[in-house]
Amino acid sequence: MKQNILLQLHPMTKFYFTLFLFAIVLILPGYLFSFALFPVLLLIALFAGVLKEFLNIVLKALLSVLVIIFIMQMLFYPGENVLWGWGIFEIKQEGLLYGLLLTSRILAIGSAFILFFRITEVRDFVKSLEDIGLPPMGAYVVLSTLQIIPEMRRQANTIMEAQKTRGVETEGSVLVRAKAFIPTLTPLILSSIAGTEERAITLESRAFSAPVKKTSLHQLTKSNIDRALPIIFALIVIGLLVWRFFF
Amino acid sequence: MKRSFKDDFNMMAMLLIPIAVAVNLVGFQLANVLRLPIFLDTIGTIIVGVIAGPWVALLTGLITNLINGIFNPVYFPYALTSIAIGVGAGYLSKYGFFKSVPKTIISGIIITFIAVIVSAPITVFVFGGVTGNTSSLITAAFLASGQQLWSAVFSSSFITEIADKVVSVLIVFFIVKAMSDRYLSKMNYGHLYMKRNNKK
Amino acid sequence: MTAMIDLKNVSYRYPVSDDSVLKNISFSIEKGKFTAIIGNNGSGKTTLCNTIRGFVPHFYKGDLDGEVIIDNTKITDYQLGQLGEKVGYVFQNPFIQVSGVKDNVFEEVAYGLENLGVPVEEIKVRVEEVLKLVKIEYLRDKNPFELSGGQRQRVALASIIVMDPEILVIDEPTSQLDPIGTQQIFEIIRLMKERGKTIVLVEHKMDLIAEYADDLLVMHKGELVMQGPVRDVLADPAFEKYQIQYPHVTEIALQLQKSGIPLSFLPIRDEELAEALNRTGVAVHD
Repeated sequence: MKQNILLQLHPMTKFYFTLFLFAIVLILPGYLFSFALFPVLLLIALFAGVLKEFLNIVLKALLSVLVIIFIMQMLFYPGENVLWGWGIFEIKQEGLLYGLLLTSRILAIGSAFILFFRITEVRDFVKSLEDIGLPPMGAYVVLSTLQIIPEMRRQANTIMEAQKTRGVETEGSVLVRAKAFIPTLTPLILSSIAGTEERAITLESRAFSAPVKKTSLHQLTKSNIDRALPIIFALIVIGLLVWRFFF
Repeated sequence: MKRSFKDDFNMMAMLLIPIAVAVNLVGFQLANVLRLPIFLDTIGTIIVGVIAGPWVALLTGLITNLINGIFNPVYFPYALTSIAIGVGAGYLSKYGFFKSVPKTIISGIIITFIAVIVSAPITVFVFGGVTGNTSSLITAAFLASGQQLWSAVFSSSFITEIADKVVSVLIVFFIVKAMSDRYLSKMNYGHLYMKRNNKK
Repeated sequence: MTAMIDLKNVSYRYPVSDDSVLKNISFSIEKGKFTAIIGNNGSGKTTLCNTIRGFVPHFYKGDLDGEVIIDNTKITDYQLGQLGEKVGYVFQNPFIQVSGVKDNVFEEVAYGLENLGVPVEEIKVRVEEVLKLVKIEYLRDKNPFELSGGQRQRVALASIIVMDPEILVIDEPTSQLDPIGTQQIFEIIRLMKERGKTIVLVEHKMDLIAEYADDLLVMHKGELVMQGPVRDVLADPAFEKYQIQYPHVTEIALQLQKSGIPLSFLPIRDEELAEALNRTGVAVHD
């Protein structure tokens, strides 16, 4: 199946691809290429079967930012060629161009990263970083963080519900609402850190700091494509740099 | 004893990081739910700085933004700000700036400056001056009134940060106060905040 | 007989407290023995476990006096990481006792072996075996965070047993389990004993201790007040003053004795009661 070819790439290959896009967006002048990149990312998302989530997150994370940035540049970027004016507001050509450049790049780079995390399991990515030298402690921290976040969100909701039933106001003036913050967060933090001692003992009991090289049930394999693609990316980037600065 | 005490601190500090990152995220979410005008999204990072020191806090800040960035890449460049806040809080704690309420407020102001100085260039260079949050509106207002871009970004960012950071450090102050000696004794800087002195 | 665990005049005080939690404790446990530690809450049982495992004072710091010798080597000469292979430790709270980075029970149980650098193929075989032994095969694909307390206790035990340590220190492994589950855990411990493991268990369930354990250590306010074979300790009148429960059958027998019925010996297992009464010639059928 087509989508599997994409998803089965080594996480590092996908990551290098993202960095590759990042680099060429910055190297190539003008906004046309960067804007043209977005449909390409859409196609990749479609092939990988993640189009819907990809679009959703792009819209949620980037759309408003892009619109605001674009308007601001049009209105406030210094320039002489006024295209259109209304009262104190003037739209200048320079602003329009800069706005397009900036938004095209943010869109391209931002959505490249969003796509990366849609087609890569964080667990796999961390594992691949571990394979190239991330210390086990670093890997542990990231993975454990990912497990802890939903757990603490759930606890925060539980505590807040409990506070409400005990009469802590969560509606009303800012001050009243602010007062609900501390009784929710404090017990959450204190109960969480109270568990770290035993968690440390658990980890030691599972030989976390055993003075040997760890093995892993979770193995990532590199195909020939995974070995070839990063080289191709690098060559293209070098080629573009040469073209951009020497011709 | 071959295993040094420092390693033990590392294990406890390492386990604090995921909690602190989650506190950053949950704090932000809670501030949203309660419709508070501030973010409260660095409480975890500051706590780590205060009790575990600058380096652990640096990691906390970094990981917070990397994880937020998974769903919103706008966070990635601001990882630098989070890192700076963590390191700043760590050093302030080292020199006793979280030991009383007045000093803590001063810490909050210093952290505000750190945050503004680090984030403003990111906002200007990466995003052209605005990123679509509340401070963008203020920036726009300053720009419309004729201010230069840099000063507009600096001032608007200062206005939105100062309340957030001062409230955050105060919350941190009270949370650290509520921590048990037993826990604090296992943290790098914990002895600064223990209720009784370790007789060792 | 060689001593596997040997404590000599051990006293310990936590860093943030004034009182010693362990006071001048000496005992030695032979290889292959199953020893139960009993005592009321706060008597120092858990701290004693932590001491055998080396978390006191490596991790908890504080002041430790005396000598702890595990398998003829002083505990201070071990690296904490090394001891993980030698002493398996299952502690009380099953809710926190997960690695926190694994998505399913199979990987959770495998975690310790990964850390020990065991080859992947061998890990799979050993985990399969332990899942079967602890009767949690049906949980293999479940997220460790979604398990019940009893299930978590089994997973915690499995996660340690799989590492095949020579010594097992187990602190109240059945608090979240029903009587059948508890019995199963004791059967697993018995199996471990048959495999030559040295076992230290903290438990409150005296009937099961009497049935399975070899020796008893009785803790009271930080002191080791009694030690010896289970039968001897329970038969000692001094045991009564520490207000620790007897096995039910022993309790009954003592009551009978008080009301004037002589016993040939003090029964500690249910099936011994008849014998204890019979030998003296009391007609039980009349």
